[in-house]
Amino acid sequence: MSDATAAISTPSAAWWRKEDWWAVILGLGLIAVAYGLFLNHTSLTWLAVTPAKWTTFAQIAQDFAAKWPRYLAQFVLWLALVSGALSSFGYRLRNTVPAFIFLYVVSILIFALGQWAQAVKFNLEPPLVALVVGLILANLNVLPRALDDGFRVEFYIKLGVVLLGATLPFTLILWAGPVALLQAGVISLVTFGVIFAVARALGVEPRFAATLGAGGAVCGVSAAIAIAAAVGARKQDAAAVVSIVVLWAIVMIFVLPFAAAGLHLASGVGGAWIGSSEFADAAGLAAAQAYGAIAAKAPGALPAIADQSVAAFTLMKVVGRDIWVGVWAIVLSIIAASRWETTGIENKASVSEIWRRFPKFVIGFLIASIAITLIAQGLGHTAFSKTADPGLVAPIKALRTWAFAFGFLSIGLTTRLADFATVGAKPVIAFSAGVVVNVILGLVLSTLVFGAYWSKLGQ
Amino acid sequence: MTAGATCATCRHFEDRPAEIERGLPGLAVLSSAHGAGRASDGLCVRHDRYLRSSAACEGWAART
Repeated sequence: MSDATAAISTPSAAWWRKEDWWAVILGLGLIAVAYGLFLNHTSLTWLAVTPAKWTTFAQIAQDFAAKWPRYLAQFVLWLALVSGALSSFGYRLRNTVPAFIFLYVVSILIFALGQWAQAVKFNLEPPLVALVVGLILANLNVLPRALDDGFRVEFYIKLGVVLLGATLPFTLILWAGPVALLQAGVISLVTFGVIFAVARALGVEPRFAATLGAGGAVCGVSAAIAIAAAVGARKQDAAAVVSIVVLWAIVMIFVLPFAAAGLHLASGVGGAWIGSSEFADAAGLAAAQAYGAIAAKAPGALPAIADQSVAAFTLMKVVGRDIWVGVWAIVLSIIAASRWETTGIENKASVSEIWRRFPKFVIGFLIASIAITLIAQGLGHTAFSKTADPGLVAPIKALRTWAFAFGFLSIGLTTRLADFATVGAKPVIAFSAGVVVNVILGLVLSTLVFGAYWSKLGQ
Repeated sequence: MTAGATCATCRHFEDRPAEIERGLPGLAVLSSAHGAGRASDGLCVRHDRYLRSSAACEGWAART
């Protein structure tokens, strides 16, 4: 770290420096533009270009030759939006522009590979391919580290989630939301309890154990650092939890989709299970999107099934688990101050923390969902299916897929294993115990208890 | 303790996102120091702990 005693404070807590609000502004802005064009009997479809399905190299080459002006226009749009937002976070254009050029070009190639007719046969799901490619490049140190300024995983994922809201009817959220809250509540409490209890039994210090438990139970790394601050954890313990959560989350990106496929879970059920068992939004969305694609390619499956996995994941993870991080912070802060050994630091909880830590991008997700639902009600089902579905929802869905693609590739590109903090065996054992219980409990709840809900999602 | 003497105004408190991400390797892989969840938390280099900006201790020193 630099000489922090000479640090000049920056207003890093200001809203314009928070990626959540930028995701909301850009996501809702894109949706508003799409709706404005739709009202004027045109659409964003020309700009929201994606590679076509292909079987021969000549076909995809021809597709690119025909669409390159559209890709160029789309690239300019994304570059303007991304570089503008990242500049507000303090990142320099000289880093973010080349980083985004690289991100966009590689994302196109991975997207195109996923459209290959034989892709499913070789398990070439774009999120998984992006992760592998990124991991290889990052760990071979092929790219300058300065490009990390443009590989902002969370920003891309939050933007994608806001856009995702415009593809989910609000009635669906109201229908499945309570089930998601109940299942996620049970999962979170049990997982936290197991990790904390095992860690304490192994002699792990309580603040470390609480940070570890939150990382497994609530929203991964984001919860871990929120709870680390709330209880006043040691820096080295917070760093250890970050390492454990990230490494387990990446392992689960590969394990969960194929385990769900092996169990022949319905797309929505698989998404709910992944939402219960993954630790971070970005990792979980990668797994859920990969599983949706696998489920959709089963014999007789409809293409729309692919979206059910992502929808169920989002309801379970984002709505069911993420939004409670502020409450967890307050409760654990009170316990730390009243029951654990003092650190000589006054670190009081405040109710306002619930709002300050609230993942604001969820607000954008809900607004987008409400907006599309009102539009659908205004048009009526038939007109909506005939005009708004292809002219309004489809381009937003394509842009969402791009935002997620940038995020998935960025996960790999920023995961440098050599950088991670050294971790002792005891916290790893405690966290792994929580993972085992979480995965089994999540599967039982997603299939046997609430399986009827998740399998019907979106039908 | 001096009035208003919290981490937010202490020279030992590091709340710049880039420095937080450098201090907690891997943070930016699946989260971010720019996210709402971090609020205004940061690293205390005096106590070597991760704290709220509203925290306070006897070792407070004004930023220069």
